[in-house]
Amino acid sequence: MIAHVIPLEDLERDALTELVNIGMSRAASSLRKMVGEQVLLSVPALEVVTRGGAATLIRERESGQVVAVRQDFEGIFSGRALLIFPEANSLALVRAVTGGAISAEDAAELEDEALAETGNVVLNSCLATMANMLQQSLTMSLPEVIRSDGSSLFDLVENGVEEGVVLFLYINFAINDRNIRGYIAMLMDLPSLEALRLLIADFIRRVVGDET
Amino acid sequence: MTETSRALSPATGHAGTALMAMAGPWLEAMDQSGVAIAVTDPGLADEPIVYVNGAFEALTGFAAAQALGRPSNFLQTAATDPDAVLAIGAALAQGGSARADILNQRRDGETFWNRMSVVTIRDTKGLPAFRLTTLTDVSHEYAGDVTAQELRISRRDLIEARERLRVVQAVAGAAGGWEWDIASNRFFADARFASIYGLDVLAAAAGLPATAFFEPIHAEDRMRVRIAVGGALHGAEVFARDYRIVTEGEVRWVSARGRTFLDAQDRPVKFAGVLADITGQKKIEERLHIAQTAGGVGSFEYLSGYGTAEVSEQFCRLLGFRPAQSLPVRTINSVVHPDDPAIIQNRDGAIGSGQAFHECRITRADTGEARWLASRGEYRRELSGGMTFTGVIYDITQTKNSEAKLRQLTERLEERVEARTQERDRIWNLSRDLLNVIGPDGTQRTVNPAWTALLGHSEAELVGMPMASLVHAEDLPLLRLRLAALLRGETVPDFDIRLRAKDGGYHWVSWKAVPEGEAIYGIGRDVTQRKLLEDQLRQSQKMEAVGQLTGGLAHDFNNMLTGILGGMDMVRRRVSQGRLDDVDRFLDAAMQSGQRAAALTHRLLAFSRRQTLDNRPLDITALVGSIADLLRRTLGEQVELVVDMDPELWSAVADDNQLESALLNLAINARDAMPEGGRLTISGRNAKLSASDLAHSDRAEAGDYVEIGVADTGLGMAPEVLAKAFDPFYTTKPLGQGTGLGLSMIYGFVQQSRGNVLIESQEGQGTTIRLFLPRHAGALTDAAKPASIDASLGQGEVVLVIEDDPAVRLLVLQVLEELGYQAIETADGREAIPILQSQQQIDLLVSDVGLPGLNGRQLAELARETRPTLPVLFMTGYAKEAIDQARFLTAGMEIITKPFAVDELGHRINMILRQNK
Repeated sequence: MIAHVIPLEDLERDALTELVNIGMSRAASSLRKMVGEQVLLSVPALEVVTRGGAATLIRERESGQVVAVRQDFEGIFSGRALLIFPEANSLALVRAVTGGAISAEDAAELEDEALAETGNVVLNSCLATMANMLQQSLTMSLPEVIRSDGSSLFDLVENGVEEGVVLFLYINFAINDRNIRGYIAMLMDLPSLEALRLLIADFIRRVVGDET
Repeated sequence: MTETSRALSPATGHAGTALMAMAGPWLEAMDQSGVAIAVTDPGLADEPIVYVNGAFEALTGFAAAQALGRPSNFLQTAATDPDAVLAIGAALAQGGSARADILNQRRDGETFWNRMSVVTIRDTKGLPAFRLTTLTDVSHEYAGDVTAQELRISRRDLIEARERLRVVQAVAGAAGGWEWDIASNRFFADARFASIYGLDVLAAAAGLPATAFFEPIHAEDRMRVRIAVGGALHGAEVFARDYRIVTEGEVRWVSARGRTFLDAQDRPVKFAGVLADITGQKKIEERLHIAQTAGGVGSFEYLSGYGTAEVSEQFCRLLGFRPAQSLPVRTINSVVHPDDPAIIQNRDGAIGSGQAFHECRITRADTGEARWLASRGEYRRELSGGMTFTGVIYDITQTKNSEAKLRQLTERLEERVEARTQERDRIWNLSRDLLNVIGPDGTQRTVNPAWTALLGHSEAELVGMPMASLVHAEDLPLLRLRLAALLRGETVPDFDIRLRAKDGGYHWVSWKAVPEGEAIYGIGRDVTQRKLLEDQLRQSQKMEAVGQLTGGLAHDFNNMLTGILGGMDMVRRRVSQGRLDDVDRFLDAAMQSGQRAAALTHRLLAFSRRQTLDNRPLDITALVGSIADLLRRTLGEQVELVVDMDPELWSAVADDNQLESALLNLAINARDAMPEGGRLTISGRNAKLSASDLAHSDRAEAGDYVEIGVADTGLGMAPEVLAKAFDPFYTTKPLGQGTGLGLSMIYGFVQQSRGNVLIESQEGQGTTIRLFLPRHAGALTDAAKPASIDASLGQGEVVLVIEDDPAVRLLVLQVLEELGYQAIETADGREAIPILQSQQQIDLLVSDVGLPGLNGRQLAELARETRPTLPVLFMTGYAKEAIDQARFLTAGMEIITKPFAVDELGHRINMILRQNK
C-alpha cells in the first residue's frame, strides 16, 4: 500500500509537514474565530500513499458517512484540501459557526451553504498561508460539499489515477465543548518534484536561517 | 511554563501594588535578570522584603514566598561582621546607597560572601519608597579562609544535589518548561529545563539566544528540530518532537511538546512548551516495541465513553489496518465476526472489571483473510473517573487451526473406534464360531454367544470355567499340550478337540489360538459334521481299498486254488485209474500253486506290517557280501554290481531274512529298469536323521541310522509313477508279471523295523532307493546258528498239540507219528488245561497262537506254572501278539510260521527236543 517512490529526504518531509502544519494552524485559527471556541489540533501526519490508500485511511477511522468540504488548488504543486467531519457532526458545526443564532430547521436548510462557506474560510486561509510561505501563488477552485463514506473523497481529482502516489497530510481537530471533531486533510500531486524540492529547500533556509 | 513572574505576594500588601505602579516594566526585566535582586520597603519596620527575583531564589535557596515579608537582614548570621552591617546602615542613611561584602547564610545553612549593593528609590516627593539590593556571591575572593573551604565543599554538594535532581527528574519524567519570545528570538527556561539541557540555571532563566536551544541537540536530530521550531515560529500551532540531546558526552532522549500563541492578527508571538527526559521511557518503549513486533502482539488502551482507542502499530497490522495511533472502536470492532465478542467491549459504559480474555474471528480489513485473535486485557478505574480497558491482541489462527484439526481427528478417531467396536461386537455376537479369551490360569475370561448356541451352556457357566473341563478325556492331553505352549507365548498349529455339550453329546471343534499378552485368544469352529463326513469317507475309502484288495487276492487265490485243487483232483483220478506215472506232475503243480499262495500271504502281511519279524543286530556289510553272488546271478551279465560299503559302518537292527528279500526285490526291479544293461550300486553308510528328515515315517525317531542305498542307472520314473511307487498293487509291469506288492512290501518292512525309505528318481537318470535302518546300540553278539541236525527219529517223547484247525492238526500229528513221537491232540485250551495240570508226561508243547478262548501264549504261561522248563513251539499264520518275536517269546519258546513244509516242522521239533536232552 505504501510505496516509497517519492524520493523525499526525511528533512524534506519534515519541512513539507511543517509547511502544511503552518497552513493548517492558520485554518484552525480561522475556524476558532468562527465558532468562538478553542480548536484543538493533533500532531500532523504525512504519508506517501496511493489515492485508494488515502481513502482507506479516512474510511478506517470513520465507519459512517462523512461530510467534506473540498477545495482543489493548482500552482507549483496541485492538489486538494479537505475539511472532513462525521456527518453526525455536520449540523452541530453549522450551528457552531452561526453562533446558535438560527433555529435547527434553518440550520438544516442552510447546512450545505454554511458548510461551504466555513470550508472556504478555513481552507483558504490554510492554502493562502502555505502559498505565502513558499512565496508562490496558488489558484483555488470554489468549495464543494461532498457526502460520502470516505471512498469518493479522493478519487475525483482530475487526471486522478487510483494507483498514482500522492502526499497525504492530515490533522485531527476537535472543537472544545462542542463534541465536534474532524480532519483537515490535504492531498498533493507532485507534478514537479524538482520544483517542489527547490521550494522546500528555500523554505527550510527561511525558517531555519532565521536562527543561524 | 516558566516562572519568570515573581508574582507579588498578597503578604506584601500595598507595597507590592505600589512597586508595580512604580517599577512597571522594570519588574519584568528584573524577573529575568541573572543577577539576584531583592526589593525592600524602608517605610516599614525591619524594612521587609517585598520582591525577589528568580536569581535571588537560586542564590539563597529561599523561594519567593519564603523570602517575602522577612526583614532585610534575614540572611545574616551570628558570624556576620556587625561592624560591616553598621557601616551599611550608616551609608544608607547618609547617601541612600551602599556597597559591602558581608557573610550571609543560605537556606541550607551554608555561608557565602555576599557582595551587596543597595540603592534607594525615592518617590515623587523624594522620600525613600523602596530599596533595591543586588546580591553577588564572591566567596571565591575569600578563598583560603574557612568559608572558602566550606564553599568548595558546598559546591561539590551542590553538584551532587543537581545530579540527584536530574536523576529524580529523569525518573519522574518531570518536565521542564521553556518560553520563546518570537520578537526577540530568545528563549527562557526554568531550572528543570536547564538541568535536562545542561544549561546554567541562571542564564537560562535570564534568557538565551535560539542557538542555545539547538546546540545540545544530537547532530542527527538538530536539523529536524530546527525545521519544526521554524514552523512553530512561523505559526504552526502544534509542535511535537522527540529527539536526542548530548550533555557531558551522554546521549539522552527528550520529548518536547509545544504550542505557538498568536496575537489577534494571527501573528505568532510566543512559542512555549515543556520538555521531558524520556530516555528510560524510550528504552522501555523500544523493548516493548521489539517485544510486540517480534511476538506479534498489538496493544490498545481505551477509556470508557470515548469513540476511539489508542492502539499500537502492531495492533493495526493484526487487523489489517494502516498503522495509526488511534482507531475508532467501531472500526476496530467492525472486523470482528458478528457472532463473536467484540475486541473492545463496553462502549456504552456498561464496563467490566478485572481481567478479561476472549477469542474472536476477524476478517482482515486489507486482505479479507479470516483470522483468529485472542484479546487479553484488564479494566482499571481511572482517578479522573471512567474506566480504562488496556490490553493486547495476538493472532492465534494457527493454534486454532491445529486445535480444530486435532478435534476433527479426535472426533473421527472416536467415530472410527466406535464403528470398529460396533463391528467387533457384531462379529463377536453374530459369529457362529466359538470365540473365547483364556487367562493364564486356564480359565475362560469371556466367551461369545456362539458357545451357548452350540453347546447349550450359559455364558455365566462358561466364564471362569477351565476349558479343560469341557473337553473329551481323550483330547485332554492334546489340549494341555497346546495350552502350555500358548502360555509360553508360542504359536501352535490348529487342533481339533471334542467339547461336551450340555446334553452330554460331544462336538468336534477345530481351534485356532494365538497368545497375546498373558491371555490366549481362541476361535473354534464346529467340525462335528466334517468329522462325521471324514469318517464316512475314510470308511468308504477303506471299503473300496478292501474291495480292491480282496478282489485282487480272490483273483490270485482262485488261480492258485485252481492249480492246487485241479492238481489234487487229477491226482485222485489218476490214483483211482491206477495211472501213477504222471501223478508227480500234478502234485508239483499243486505244490507250486500252494507255495505261490504262501508267498502271497507272506507279502500281504509284510505290506500290512504284520509279518512276524525276527529283529536282531545285523552286520550289513556281511549280509550284503553273503548275497552278492545271488544278486549277480539274478542281475545277469549285462548289469554290473558295485558294492560300496563304509568300512566303519554301524550295525543295524532288522530281520535279516526280510532285508535279504528286500534287497533281492530291489535288485530285480533295478534289473528290469535296465533292459540295456547298466550298473547297480549297493552302498552302505552311517546317517544321522533328524525329526524333520523322518517327517513321513510312521515310527522312526530321530537318531543314528544305517543307510543302505540301491542305485541303478536305468530308465528312472516319471513323477506320477514316483508318487505311487509305494502304493500296494501298483505296478508298471504287464498284467500278470508283477503283483504290485514289491515296493510296498519293502516299505512296510522298513517301517515296521522303525526305519525309513526314500526314493529318488528322474526319468532317464536312474533310481536310487535308500533304506534307513536303526543303528544297533551295543556290540554285535555273534549268535551262533545252531548246527544243522539231521532229521532223525524220535524216541517216544510226548508232544501235546493244540490246534483248532483239524487239517493242520492232522498234518502235525502225522508228522509227529512219522518222526516217532507220541502225540496228544487237543483242539483248544479247555481240552489242554487238564492234561497240562495232570501228571501226564509232556516233553513239548506245540500250540497254535490264535485259539478260541485262551490263546497259545496264555496257555504256555499256564503250562509253565506247573512245568517251568517245558519247551514250547508256537505255530502261527498271523498273530498280532507275535509280530515281534523278541517280545513275544521267552526262553525255551520258539515260533514257526505257517505255512510250513512238513520237513521243516519235523526238523524244528527234533531240534527242540534234542536240545533239551
